[in-house]
Amino acid sequence: MADLKGYAGKVLRIQLHNGEAKIHDLEKELAVGFLGGRGFNSKRLYDTMGSGTDPLGPDNRLMFSTGPLVGTIFPTASRFNVSAKSPQTGILGDSNAGGHFAAEMKYAGYDQIIIEGRSPDPVYIYINDGDVEFMDASHLQGQDIYKTDEIIRADLADQRIQTAIAGPAAENGVKYSGIFVNLMRAAARTGLGTVMASKGVKALAVRGTGSIEVADPRRFEELVERIEEEIYSHEQYWPRRKMGTTRILMMANEEGFLPTRHYTSGVFEHAEEVSGERLAEEFNVKTRGCFACPIPCSRFYVVPEGRFKGLYAEGPEYEALGSFTSRVGNGDLGLALKAIDMCNKLGLDALTTGECISWAMELHERGMLPRSMADGLDLSWGNGEAILALIEKIASREGFGDILADGSRAAAAKLGFGAELTMQVKGLDLIMADPRGLKGFGLGYAVASRGGDHLRSEPFLELSDDPQRGLEMFGVAEATLRLADRGKGKLVSYFEDWNAVIDALEPCKNIMQNMEILTFEVASEVIEATTGLRMTPSEVRLVGERIINIERAFIVREGIRRRDDSLPRRFREEPLTEGASKGTIFDQEPMLDEYYDERQWDPEIGIPKESTLIKLGLGYVAEDLRKMA
Amino acid sequence: MKRIVVDANLCAGCRLCELACSFFHEEVFSPTLSRVTVVKQDVYGLDFPVLCRQCDHCPAIDACPTNALTRTELGTIAADIEACVGCTQCVEECTYNAVKLVSEPLICDLCEGDPQCVRRCPTKALSYEESKPDTRRPEYVFLEMRRRWGIDG
Repeated sequence: MADLKGYAGKVLRIQLHNGEAKIHDLEKELAVGFLGGRGFNSKRLYDTMGSGTDPLGPDNRLMFSTGPLVGTIFPTASRFNVSAKSPQTGILGDSNAGGHFAAEMKYAGYDQIIIEGRSPDPVYIYINDGDVEFMDASHLQGQDIYKTDEIIRADLADQRIQTAIAGPAAENGVKYSGIFVNLMRAAARTGLGTVMASKGVKALAVRGTGSIEVADPRRFEELVERIEEEIYSHEQYWPRRKMGTTRILMMANEEGFLPTRHYTSGVFEHAEEVSGERLAEEFNVKTRGCFACPIPCSRFYVVPEGRFKGLYAEGPEYEALGSFTSRVGNGDLGLALKAIDMCNKLGLDALTTGECISWAMELHERGMLPRSMADGLDLSWGNGEAILALIEKIASREGFGDILADGSRAAAAKLGFGAELTMQVKGLDLIMADPRGLKGFGLGYAVASRGGDHLRSEPFLELSDDPQRGLEMFGVAEATLRLADRGKGKLVSYFEDWNAVIDALEPCKNIMQNMEILTFEVASEVIEATTGLRMTPSEVRLVGERIINIERAFIVREGIRRRDDSLPRRFREEPLTEGASKGTIFDQEPMLDEYYDERQWDPEIGIPKESTLIKLGLGYVAEDLRKMA
Repeated sequence: MKRIVVDANLCAGCRLCELACSFFHEEVFSPTLSRVTVVKQDVYGLDFPVLCRQCDHCPAIDACPTNALTRTELGTIAADIEACVGCTQCVEECTYNAVKLVSEPLICDLCEGDPQCVRRCPTKALSYEESKPDTRRPEYVFLEMRRRWGIDG
């Protein structure tokens, strides 16, 4: 790897069953074909883990990867992906977070850390440059995220380490527990904290003292300055600085797609009281940011009044905020912050936790869930006491919390009713945007390789409602109109490829994609200046397409077909009745047809065609799929 | 003299200053080789870039047994790496933990009058202006901020 700059150049393989740590060079063909981050993880998971692996068994492999830009001054390059087979969904598990962990991993010398097997005793793994130590973690069992971080820092007597921690919910086997860095930055989705805990690993603690070089320092610096300038002069700069993603809440409400009372409405009468604007005005006391970010959008808040006066933390972001306000019908901002703080400390995915509670509330409101089945809790919309009680119960798998602790799909299966009301795709609970008001987003949820998720595609361009953009980019004016159906297959494929490249290079998607900064053209220049690899813009896009296809092959191998690319019935059959997205439904099948056609996947079953895989240099994957059929 | 002034209320802890510093001086990206280090308390959302304040009286200069440290015309502290024996006295004596010893002492040199950390700071937490040396340590500033926010602990 000496000839490629940007990368740290090494892969660390930790084998827990025999307590060994092996270090090998990063394979050049992996870097060329998949760039980094999510690409590395998805490729290696496909190649090294057979189908049918038990997600909570020793054969599951947990992989942390970061990208070639991370550790440099490239704006927002701070992120990593962590991946494994998901215990929540049974398919590809993958999540991404920012903070300072990924850069430290690079300085320690690693582009990827792979964790295999299961430790006989509870450990945390101390990675200090080239030294890897398995540290006793018996004193950390049951400790929350904050306390664990504090104890590890004291044990190692080093405040410069970066930790990645699984919380008590993960240790209790809650299937949607995340991995947390810098206390409250979560790789929250798909239950990867649960996987880490199942391996007997409480945390990673990383310290790196190395350097990252770039291939062409002068050109790299010029590019960085050009991109910084674009960021600083962007119209979204200040709203993002001030509110982070919480700025979305009011916008979603105005456009009528703010999931309210479990998607029974797209508008919330208390939106202003729980908005990012209110947080910024009354709660926030300081700006914080991820590593190397010139648009630091995180906020430290202190609750100024009311029952939760004096509560303090960093955040929240929109998905968590929405999950504990409009989604559950709660208009008390302090209570929502308390709920999110509890999820963070216990190590829960706030989104799935919010969906499970919101779903149970709808069952209650419909008279389907007797109070006696829910431990006597009054699950009326917005009942704060019930919300806080359920978070505790879920994390400890106590009483009704045990029913909810595996996600909404599994909860409905356990109860034997309510399955048609779960708002999930492939077992992953949906995010805070109603697909009836955002058709491209909806299509993205249907086809995303980790289940009902927006970050695989997140086609923000459709919010522009500018037909000219659709015509220019896709030859279809409707592609960039949020309520239109046509052209969404092209839109979503394009944005999926784009986001896969960003998840491989590991800067921040919110900036690089939503603000339209790191296009394929710019990425091509940046990749060359950083790593020395020459790729045309269309070759860069091919990397994205390659990642999407190998992920599809991974989930196809686990049994996923077109029939699984489907949104909950409510979105397909019941129109919203109020607000700016009123009267439309999600007309799924024509959009799927267009998407498979654009992807060159078999439209009947949703499997990549042999010719598609061969074009991407994935002939061996085509071979596997053929044998499987 | 012109000094780098820190306003911890504005610091977001992004560490672009560390990266700008190591790139300017070493042409690599490495917090270890940076002359500025952001100390943090994530639990309270606190960040403070630590770097040489060019104290009027520099205890590190006094402590150096080989006289390897001297004051430059700009007012910064420079190390003569030929004379340095790596004894770490300067690291221990600096009141503000602003001296690092990697293979040689790393001390802020104000980038010859155009500090790159100031240029890169996105929140204006760092500025370069005529000022007296700040005598407040990060721990004190952190406590002051927590008191102001009412999270005294």
